[in-house]
Formats: sequence, C-alpha cells, structure tokens
Amino acid sequence: MTLELVPVKETGPAAPAPPGSRRRALRRVLRNPLAALGLVIVVVALLAAALANLVTPFPYDRTDFSAALQPPSPAHWFGTDELGRDQFSRVIFGLRASVEVGVMSVALSLVVGVPLGLLAGFYGWLDPVVSRLTDTLLAFPFLVLAVGLAAIVGPSLTIATIAIAAAQIPAVVRVTRSETLHLREMDYVAAAIADGASDAVLLGRHILPNAVNALIVQATVAVPAAIIGESVLSFLGLGVRPPTPSLGIMLASAQPLFRDGPWLVVFPGVAIVLLTLAMNLVGDGLRDALDPREVRR
Amino acid sequence: MSKLLTVDSLTVRFSTEDGTVLAVDGASFAVAEREVLALVGESGCGKSVTALALTGLLPGTAAVSGSVHMGGQNLRGLPEARLRAIRGRDIAYVFQEPMTSLNPVLTVGRQIGEVLRRHQRLSGAAAKRRAAELLELVGIPLPVRRLSEYPHQLSGGMRQRVMIAMAVACRPRLLVADEPTTALDVTVQAGVLDVLRTLRAEIGTAILLITHDLGVVADIADRVVVMYAGRTIEEAHAEALFARPSHPYTRGLLDAVPNPARHLDGGLREIPGRVPQLSDSPDACTFADRCARADTTCRTRRPSLDPGPAGHPVRCWHPLPVPAAVTTA
Amino acid sequence: MSAALEIVDLVKHFGPVRAVDGVSLTVGAGEVVGLVGESGSGKSTLGRCVTRLIPVTSGQVRITGREIGQLSRRALRPLRRNFNIVFQDPSSSLNPRMTVGAIVAEPLRLHGIGTTVERRARVTELLDQVGLRGEVARRYPHELSGGQRQRVSLARALSAAPALLVADEPTSALDVSVQASVLNLVGRLQQDMGFACLFITHDLAAVEYLAQRVAVMYLGVLVEVAERAELFGRPRHPYTQALLSAAPIPDPVAQRARRRIVLTGDVPSPVDPPSGCRFHPRCPVAVERCSVEVPALRRVGPSGATVACHLVADDGTPPVVTDRR
Repeated sequence: MTLELVPVKETGPAAPAPPGSRRRALRRVLRNPLAALGLVIVVVALLAAALANLVTPFPYDRTDFSAALQPPSPAHWFGTDELGRDQFSRVIFGLRASVEVGVMSVALSLVVGVPLGLLAGFYGWLDPVVSRLTDTLLAFPFLVLAVGLAAIVGPSLTIATIAIAAAQIPAVVRVTRSETLHLREMDYVAAAIADGASDAVLLGRHILPNAVNALIVQATVAVPAAIIGESVLSFLGLGVRPPTPSLGIMLASAQPLFRDGPWLVVFPGVAIVLLTLAMNLVGDGLRDALDPREVRR
Repeated sequence: MSKLLTVDSLTVRFSTEDGTVLAVDGASFAVAEREVLALVGESGCGKSVTALALTGLLPGTAAVSGSVHMGGQNLRGLPEARLRAIRGRDIAYVFQEPMTSLNPVLTVGRQIGEVLRRHQRLSGAAAKRRAAELLELVGIPLPVRRLSEYPHQLSGGMRQRVMIAMAVACRPRLLVADEPTTALDVTVQAGVLDVLRTLRAEIGTAILLITHDLGVVADIADRVVVMYAGRTIEEAHAEALFARPSHPYTRGLLDAVPNPARHLDGGLREIPGRVPQLSDSPDACTFADRCARADTTCRTRRPSLDPGPAGHPVRCWHPLPVPAAVTTA
Repeated sequence: MSAALEIVDLVKHFGPVRAVDGVSLTVGAGEVVGLVGESGSGKSTLGRCVTRLIPVTSGQVRITGREIGQLSRRALRPLRRNFNIVFQDPSSSLNPRMTVGAIVAEPLRLHGIGTTVERRARVTELLDQVGLRGEVARRYPHELSGGQRQRVSLARALSAAPALLVADEPTSALDVSVQASVLNLVGRLQQDMGFACLFITHDLAAVEYLAQRVAVMYLGVLVEVAERAELFGRPRHPYTQALLSAAPIPDPVAQRARRRIVLTGDVPSPVDPPSGCRFHPRCPVAVERCSVEVPALRRVGPSGATVACHLVADDGTPPVVTDRR
C-alpha cells in the first residue's frame, strides 16, 4: 500500500451553471459564515503574496547577524531566524511560493487531466486505456516521483510543481470522466448530434462547458493539497532552493532550532494551516453552493 | 351525505432563498363521505401542497394557517403524535411514483404487514391473511405469491396497486391520491382507476384525487374543485363543470385538451401567458392578466367564491354565461 | 417525390432487449404520421434509430430516398440537414450554457448555411415563426418556461429546413394549456413549412388532432397502421381497441357511458417477448393460433390499412372485443 502523501479529495457532481448563477452561487457561499471567513483569508493571503514587495519591510534574504534569533518584536513582527532574516517577510514570500506552486500544479493537472477525462468518458473504448494510464500514475507515490525527478534535474520549484501535478491528474481525470459520462446522455447533446455536430464540437461546445462547475470545485479543493505537497517537498529539500523562502523550507530549517526559537516554527506552520484550511472551507462552500439540488431553474 | 373533511381558508407560505412564496391562498372546500372529489389544476397551482397540508406533512419552511376539520376536531392544532395516528388510519396517501414510495429491500408482504402492525396490531398469520385480502381487493392476481415478492419484481401498475393496498389497509375514511396514474401507461391507468372505484364501493372510503388530467376527472370524479395560483376558483359536480364551466380558466383548460368527441375548428384554444408565482395575495383576480374578459374590477378587487350563473360557486367577477343549448357529444 | 422516410425491416437490439423487432413504415413527403405506443413499445428507440442517434442493428432507413442506416458517422453528417428531432424534456434539451440564438443557429452554423449576418436574420425569423420575440435570442434557457423551451427546440430542429422532423413526445412534459399551444404550433409549422413529421407519443388525443396516418406499436412491432379517421373510428387490432377504450375522454357523460376494455396484466418486458403474437397473453380474444404463429402486418379492407392480427378478416372486419371479465 503506497502512502498517498498528497491526498486529493474527489468531489461529486455539480450542476452545469446557467450563466449568472455563478454570481448567485458566490452570494450563497458568502452567506455561509465559515466559507466567507475562508474567502477573506484566501483573498488576504493572495493580496499579500502578490504585493509581497510592497508589503514586506525587509527583503527576504537580508541577513543581519546582530539581530539573529530574536523573538517577535515591533521591529520584526514574526521575529528573526539564525541568520537575522526577518521572518514576517520570509513568510509572505513563502506564501507566494506556496500559492504559485499550488496554482501552477493544479493548472498543469487540469491541462493534462481534463482532455484525458473527456476522451475516457466519451469514447468507451478509450476508457480502459486511460484507466491504465492513471493507474500507472497512481502507482507512483508522488514523493518517489519527486525524488526521481530531482535526481535527474536537480531539485527546484518546477520539479515540485510537476510532481504534485502528476499526483493530482488521476483525480482530475476521474471527475472529468464522470461528468462526461453523465453529460453525454443529455438530450441537448443528442440534439447537437442531430444538428450535425462532430465529436470535437460535442466535446468542446456542449460537454466541457457544462463540466466546468465540477472542475471548479475540484480545483479549489486540490489547491490546498498542492500547497501541503509543496511544503512537504521543500521540507525534504526537493523543492525550493535557499535562500528563496517557502513555508516548507522554513519549517524544515526551524526544526533543530525549535527550543531556541519556537516562533520560527509557529508562524510558517500557522500560515500553512490557515491557508489550506481557508481554501478547504471555500471549496466546501462552493461545492454546496453549486450542488445540483441547490441550483434552481 | 355528511361532510367528512372540511378545509377552511387554508393558506400556505414557503420561505425560500428568494423570498416568500404563496403556494395556497385561502383554499376552502369539503369532501363528503364516500365522495370522489377531484382537485384539478396545472403545475404550481398549489394542489399538491394542499394535500400535504391536511395532515401536517409540509416541511418546516412552510407557514400554514386555516383549519382542517375532520371528525369534529381541527387537525391543524394537533400535536405530531396525534397526527401520526391519524395518518394511515383515517387519512391515507397514495403518491405518483410508486417506485420511490416503496422500500426496495422489503417484500410486499412485509411492507403491508408493517402498516397492519402499526395501526391494527395484527401480526403473523392474521396479518398475512389480511395482506392477501388487500392485494385481492386491489385486483392483483395470485395475491399470496405476491406477498413474498420485492417491488422491483412488479410492474408500475402493480406497484401502484400495492401502494393503494397499503393505503387502505386500515380502511381509512379518506384516501388522498396525488397524481396516482400520471406515471402509468394509459391501459394500466384504466385498471388503477377501477381499483379506486372498487374501494369506494367496498370500503366506503372517500377519495381526494389530485390531478391535472381532465380525462381522469371525467372518468371518476363526483365533484371537482379547480385551483389556480393557490386559490380555489370553481367548484361543481363533474358533469356540470364540463358542460357549464363558469370560470374563464376552466373554460380555457377544457378547450386546451384535444377531445375527439368535440370538433374544434380553430384548433386547440391556448391560454396566453403563464401561471404567476406569487409572494403575497393580491387584492385582484390572479387570472386577470391572462383573461380576455378582465376589466378594472378584476385587476383591483379580489373576487370571492360565490354562486355563479350555472348555479355552482365560482371566483370571478364576470363568470361565463350558461350556453344556450347545452349539448353533450 | 420520394417519401420523406422509408423504414424497411428495422431491427434494434440492445443485447437481449429486442426493442425494435422488424418495423417497416413509410412517411410521405409533407405527411404527419403518428406513432403511438405505451412504455416498452420501442417507439422512442425507433425515433432514435431513424435519426441515427443510435446505430441500427439491421434494416434500412431511407430519408428522401437516401439510405442512411449503415452510413459512417462522417458520411452521415452532411446529410443531417435533411432530418432532425425534438425531445420530450424541456429542461435537458437545451444547452444551459448557450444562448437561445446560438442554439437555434447551430444547425446553420454546422452545415455552413449562410453568413453570420444571414444566420442571425434567419434566427429572428424562426423565433417569430415559433411565436417568440426576437430578443429571446439573447436569453439563456433557464430564463424560459417549459413551453418556451420547446418552441426553441422546434426552431432549432427546423432551422436548416429538414424534410423530416421526428417529434419524440414533445408535449408530454408540459402543462395542459401549454401542450395545446405547442400542438397548435407544430400543426401550423408543418403546414407552413411542409416538412414530414413522425410524431411519437402515447397521447392518443394529440395524435388524433395532428396526424394523418397513425401507426400503433406494441413490444417492438407494429400492430396496426391506418388513416386517422379509420383508426379512431374503426380500430381493428384488439390492442388498438383496448388503447382507445382506455384513453379517457374529457367529458364525464360520454366517458362513463363507454364500454371499456380493461386488459389484464401489465406490459411485458421486451427482453423475452411472448411467442407468436406478442399481444396474445393480454388479448381478450386470443385463440390458440395466436400463441404459436406470428401474425404478419397485412393489408386488410379496401383502404390500405394494415393490421397484424389473425382474427381480423381479409375484408377488414375486426374481432369484437369485450371485457374478459
């Protein structure tokens, strides 16, 4: 049994969204207090990551040995590490790395997984072929994949992204395939065939646009998993390279110093937890909001 | 015939995400003993909600007011425990989709047995005998064999008969049937309607039949109440309703149904516009927007249910006159 | 002019389920033929076979003389402008993510008919023909009612001016008053545009209102085909008689005075159809021959009606069917 270190949750079916209902769904999400809170946190984190250069008082790699290992103070809100680097700035930049990897890996998994899922769901004879492919992917714990890639090319954020994307592809394929299977029975698909649509038109104009809702939900749930994945990889030295901060690397280097500088562990750790928790809440809220039983008319 | 069930000013409001929806607006009608009363209307008119409101089967989001009298007491004021005793014993329900109303993992015999056990304390051999009797009453051949079958082994028509058998197990005084034949083929429907007729004759149960199908109404109903946008708008004996409809909506419904016995030159008459979804009870006739006969009075004052030109109650400021020569095809 | 639709010995099996088991039928140019049957009759499957939404097991399907039953999907596509289909369920027959205008224009777009500007004009024209205002083109399906959506479906199916329209229960999911308007619309469009129509339904009254000829289907085969007046006035096959007798007339006096034939049992499943005449287990007048020998659909009487029943005489005299009870 392989240990899946990046457990990617699979989400259920979502009703195709009539345009305009996404806004209503958003409103419904906001009415859910937990999801609203999650959304606020996510937005703040995204803004902070995007405006990192403006928001941080210090560059993340500025060392200052005179101020090494300082607990949180007005000058350094999150304290400093053993090299005197401001932890607040490093956490913010670390957030950026996490978000980048999170988003990029999910995007990559969609680019690869969605077409595979569409084809598997649409062409019955392709289904077993695609299943074997995803099974193969599933057989590689993503850690092994990451280690393998790192051994060949050297560790980097790109490696981490690819490895995490590979771990997510099976779930994306499954969700897309199941939506495709469901949607291809719809009367409007039959009508399109009767109108003379080719398979490409059917998939691109009729099936994919209506599967997007389910994929949105899947993505919002996958991003937190990717962020954790990045943290794990960087923690193990397979991801980001110093001095670039990443929340995972910060946790790793803080490990031996825990006794002397507990704040070095607390802040990156809390950041990871908060961010992934917030994204999960938003994902849950979105899933409830886009549930077929909720979407009316 | 005495009044078995009297509904007075029944109003049901649902609170939804988009505001309040007024589903039933002051409905009043009565069902006499042994009578088949049809509650007729299109989707959204409130007929199903009315049926569920009788024994408190609506969800918590519903605000119900008005009274429902049966056997000298107002069902609306009763606690849930009392209502549960009444459901099944005095008032029983049959719904449209027998497949989802029957438990797929229990045999027919066990499901009927459950009803008998709960309300009549029968068990074992006595229950089995009674269950077979009931199946025979609803016209199921080889009833004893059926007892050990599962719902999926039966066809749609048979399942509906089983539902009816369960409903009448305790000889209820009123059977509420909500679109009982809509999901069935027409040849099967005829059989189920026959079953309902048999029940009325042999058990003496009254039937509140909810339907949109005027053919079914013509076949089995004694009296008819027509509903539109939550209000009852006309009430008459079946024959009178079809021959001398007073409300323009009733007339519109009748004209919209292809009837081989009637020869229409201008095609089927259509009713323009849509059924409104109301959040409040307007002080006007809710059909006015779609009615060719509407005038200012109709749009500014709510009509009440009063005797019309044909002699039966109608809720309309300008009810249709009785046709000069009333012919039936 | 060749017939709009010719079906010869059409067979469609889904594994053991013999949904359509040898049906031959012709729909002339501009003719409306009603195909009636209950659940399990195979009528919807026939409709989907005819429009090649599902492959045909065997048999021929010719639309305006052109054989389409065995063509490859690629070869079939350009021919699809000659025939189209509308479905029963208004809530799933329109792509929720497309505007009405795009939906209606789809056949034109796919077959390369007209320029973008011309297509838009045609869409407005079609919407008008189905009784919808031009500005509806900008709306999305969820903003429309069931009746309006069916109108959009009709506009879409007819936009490329097909010779044949298959209507699969187009009014069954609609309210009574809306059914009337859609039925009227189909009748009007058919007269204005002249397409042939295979009208599939279980609603006898609708068929009597719209169709010129009627075909009755039971468990995968046709049991009777006749001109409308003849089928309704003098039904021959016992199943047709039972069907007509079971459909209630919205007139209490007439309805309760009718002599009714109530069939025993329910419609059997098409997996294992009865031997001989498929209707014989439920037939009130079946004789031994019926359980052994399959009756052929043969011409009876002077008018060209066809019936598949041993008990109908060659001159067209039907068996007298009364309630077995």
